Amino acid sequence: MNRRLKLIVAAGIAVFAVAGGASAAYAMLQGDAAAELRASGQAGEQADGYLGIVGSPSAALRAQVDSVNIKRRAYYTDLAAKRGAKIEEVAATTACELFRTKVGPGQYYRGTDGAWHQRDGSAPVPLPSYCG
Amino acid sequence: MKAAILTRLRSTQGAVGRFLLLAPVLVSTAGCVQVSAPEKPIEINLNINIRQEVVVRLQEDVRDLIEKNPGVF
Repeated sequence: MNRRLKLIVAAGIAVFAVAGGASAAYAMLQGDAAAELRASGQAGEQADGYLGIVGSPSAALRAQVDSVNIKRRAYYTDLAAKRGAKIEEVAATTACELFRTKVGPGQYYRGTDGAWHQRDGSAPVPLPSYCG
Repeated sequence: MKAAILTRLRSTQGAVGRFLLLAPVLVSTAGCVQVSAPEKPIEINLNINIRQEVVVRLQEDVRDLIEKNPGVF
């Protein structure tokens, strides 16, 4: 009961923490974990192809991000084996695509410089040089 | 490929040498910059080309992957 209440409060905070909370609510209805985490502003996309935690991580947040990243790792490994590429190469290529299409205005990304940046309005996210 | 780079390097050095002979009045620091500059960009460009090729090759598969797994990406 207590845990359930905490989850509901956390979900509520996540919705209101975002400018344009409608998109976050939509993502939640879809059960869209990665989009939900990006929209909350607590996690962002990294140039290495995985989600990262922007601020100080709570145990719950860490678990959510890890759960997404484990699935990503499995997909990357699978595709790398199929195409005779390295896992890191598949992951980096995916990051290029996620930077292009999934990081919304005001959401966070971590470039090859290792620092977190917030996407400024409708300006596109700067891509690593190898993205082509 | 290697030979081409070597030839380019050699001809660059030749040009630099001629340049130095023709313009002995120039300050020595200008000569230093001319000699050390050509090597680095060649290495970096090769690295980026290799990676870019891989990225381009994988791009379609990756787009497909993202589209089919909305909860994960």
